[in-house]
Amino acid sequence: MIAGGSTTRIAIWRHWRTWLFIWLVATAVLVAVLAWDAWPWFRGEPQATFRYTKLNQWPIEGLWWLLVPMALWLQRNLTMVDRRWPWTLALHGCMAAVVTALFITLAGVRMLVANHLPAEFLPVVLNDLRWMGGWSYTPALIYLLLIFALYAVSFYREWRAGQRLTNELQVANAQLETRLVRASLDALKMQLHPHFLFNTLNSITGLIRKERTREAEDVVAGLGELLRRSLDHRQEAKETLEEGLVFLRRYFDIECIRFQDRLKVEYDIEPKCLRALVPSLVLQPLVENAMKHGISKDANARLLRISAARDGTRLILTVYNDGPPLPKDDATLNNGIGVQNTTARLHMLYGDEARLRLRDQPPRGVRAEVILPFQTNTS
Amino acid sequence: MTTTPRFHWWTSIVLLAAGGLLMLIFCGHRTGLAFQARSPADENILRVAYTQDLRPDPHEWTLPFPTYNHFMLSLWEPLVECDPATGQPQPAAAESWDLSTDGLTLTLKLRPDGRWSNGDRVTADDFVRGWHRLLTRNMDIAQTLFFLKNAEAYNQGRIKDPQAVGVQAVDDLTLRIELAQARTNVVAELANPLLVPLHASTEGVLAEAAYYRAPARLHTNGPFRLVAADADGYRMESCAYFHGRSGIRLAGVQFVRADNFWLARLMAAAGVIDLVSPALNPVDRPLPTSRPILSKNELVLAVSSLDFNVTRGPLRDLRVRQALALALNRTETIRQFGQGRLVPAWSWVPGMPGRSGLTLLHEDAAEARRLLAEAGYPGGRGFPVLNMALTIQSKSDSFPPAWTESWFQQLGIRTHISYEPIDLRARRLAAGDYDVLYGTLIATVPDAADMMSGFMWPLEYSNTKWLDKEMLALLTQANSKTGAERLALLEQAERRLMAAVPAVPVTFTRRQALLAADLRGWYEDPLGRQSLKRLWLARTPAPSNATESKL
Repeated sequence: MIAGGSTTRIAIWRHWRTWLFIWLVATAVLVAVLAWDAWPWFRGEPQATFRYTKLNQWPIEGLWWLLVPMALWLQRNLTMVDRRWPWTLALHGCMAAVVTALFITLAGVRMLVANHLPAEFLPVVLNDLRWMGGWSYTPALIYLLLIFALYAVSFYREWRAGQRLTNELQVANAQLETRLVRASLDALKMQLHPHFLFNTLNSITGLIRKERTREAEDVVAGLGELLRRSLDHRQEAKETLEEGLVFLRRYFDIECIRFQDRLKVEYDIEPKCLRALVPSLVLQPLVENAMKHGISKDANARLLRISAARDGTRLILTVYNDGPPLPKDDATLNNGIGVQNTTARLHMLYGDEARLRLRDQPPRGVRAEVILPFQTNTS
Repeated sequence: MTTTPRFHWWTSIVLLAAGGLLMLIFCGHRTGLAFQARSPADENILRVAYTQDLRPDPHEWTLPFPTYNHFMLSLWEPLVECDPATGQPQPAAAESWDLSTDGLTLTLKLRPDGRWSNGDRVTADDFVRGWHRLLTRNMDIAQTLFFLKNAEAYNQGRIKDPQAVGVQAVDDLTLRIELAQARTNVVAELANPLLVPLHASTEGVLAEAAYYRAPARLHTNGPFRLVAADADGYRMESCAYFHGRSGIRLAGVQFVRADNFWLARLMAAAGVIDLVSPALNPVDRPLPTSRPILSKNELVLAVSSLDFNVTRGPLRDLRVRQALALALNRTETIRQFGQGRLVPAWSWVPGMPGRSGLTLLHEDAAEARRLLAEAGYPGGRGFPVLNMALTIQSKSDSFPPAWTESWFQQLGIRTHISYEPIDLRARRLAAGDYDVLYGTLIATVPDAADMMSGFMWPLEYSNTKWLDKEMLALLTQANSKTGAERLALLEQAERRLMAAVPAVPVTFTRRQALLAADLRGWYEDPLGRQSLKRLWLARTPAPSNATESKL
């Protein structure tokens, strides 16, 4: 059984949530320290004064601890490479002004509280501070430098990632091309399994010997039809399910002659699935596997059922045989050329949205499922 | 890279709101604000702002701002007080005194009703204790007592026995002072807040800073006693044991800490304080409230000067010093950097109670150039670069570069100003490795002799290294005279000083004080020693919107 897709594990220390958690914890500790230090003043104790609390005495640059995450978030969400970059620059400029104003305001608030001035004096303090040359525009400079540095690091990382991706894509392209060629070749090979041809020719010989010329003619005509259809389908990537089932019916006509009354083929096709697009001859390798490894291996096995059903946006194609269960060895199971090529074709055409599953069907039999997106010519 | 910005609409709302709020704060009302009414607890309490570090230790000061004087003189009372109108000493802790005929011994009688705040009698021993403690401090403040016999030697460690210092308690109420030299103005010196008595317990209280926890343990003999102390200020109440308590109309004084002078000004406008002195702010900024605030100006007994090292290079030549003195532009420089708080100094001693200032200098660039050329340096050619040694703290002072720029513009003389750490500068001064110094001399006594006393110091302590025997004789003689005769001798000394120009006085300081309009009894004192016990608060009507600031 092959499952599509994989999960990339990120080291915990590189995840942004880890750093956010650390920042939150540190901030909580910082707030607790400041609150504990200023608690006597909050309570209005006689000897307590705001002037000598850490809230007033600690450098005002400590405000950057609260502002840096915001700056990081803003930089991350504002691009500089598309046509919106003037707006981005303007927004960062505004943020620099807001940050500077915050610092100045905080300095003013500290002065206000330390000198017992009423709150409505804050505009007066701020403007007098400006008049005295006390406004510092350094926070704006620091903010812009920080943003510039973050963009520079971001651009560098993306350039490196782009380089790596380019290399990976080149390798993947080459690999896919190879696999596509192989799949195409194998599809060609598997459109008609050589053993099928040999068995069919033997059957024809047997029928001729038994002077069952009519049946022999039918088998020769059916084999010719199959070969013709194989050539027609070689260039097509997809066909409707109905077209694919015509090919299968021809195939089973021949096989039924070979297996005489032993082989019973059932079709359980939802009518709306007939116009669904499927990869050309996608079921052929699975049917041949069911015949080779299921019906042929057990004299009591006789049923082969082809099903097609729609499940929302998916099309589920099923090939069931009541032969012996699957081998326990996954390597044997998954390395068969029919399984490999079918998987490769599905991945090439649908990526992670299609998959092939093989599983036992208790109490008896094996079930091969192809799950792919439900598509029609009009969708 | 993301090519589509992920900037949510709510983020824009938050940013706009933050920006709008900050705009509201910055553009808020700056005039017409309400001011606080006096709380019942502060009824009849004078609230005074201070910006320097204040501790209730009379022997610890950095700068003798008026607030320091107000603080100390509220808690302690010295032997005498100077009459602000005449500069003459008036009885305080001492009720009378007698100077011997040779001018070397001063005997003071303490008032018998002098009391500490715990009721103990104030005795002569308390003054001896206090003065001995002062002499154990560094020379900057200990020199206040160097007029005593052996005081300097004791301070410098040459004498170990404090009993050898010229101050003794003859009995509980008699203090005898022996002077190193005859000085007729010595009684006025005793008004200095540094020369207050010290209760026997005070040193221990100050060492533990126990006045924070138990302010009543600090025993003082002044009009007010300490009742509360914290990092934001001190509160005092009228002392029940003070001999003059019946004349005190204030219930108490609250000293409130302000970060700087311009914030103190806002505190006055807000109704938080009643007095700011000095108020180092230009007067062209409107106050934000309509609280009536008055501005009072007084001339300070201080002079800023450029001191020449007369032992170095061309500064030995009088003509060079005269040229440097003539090539200044005081008026323009003051207009640029000190408008409203400085006035040009045309002599060494400013006007003071009982004595007008003289005009002994002038400015004349052409005459300066002529003198410089006569001295051999026409246009400043060949004149070495002068070195002006200042402390790092002076870096924000605009005046030194202004004065040296004037020398360059008028005379072609270049000056290198070095800003150095205090200890490095002290070593430079001790070694005499400088040409020019810039500093301010503040008088401690309203007396011209006090302002010129620096020129009597030994050469190793003198900035100018200039010692004129004639001037020394004049000052010494003046110290044995009184009245008009003394003033005449002091004027002669000053004229001789200005003729020799070892130092050029450049500015006098005008000190501004901001007072609430309901504060009564304020008076000018050039030493900034207004006694708060003479002030009171008048009841004023409720403020109206039509009331304008009187600044």
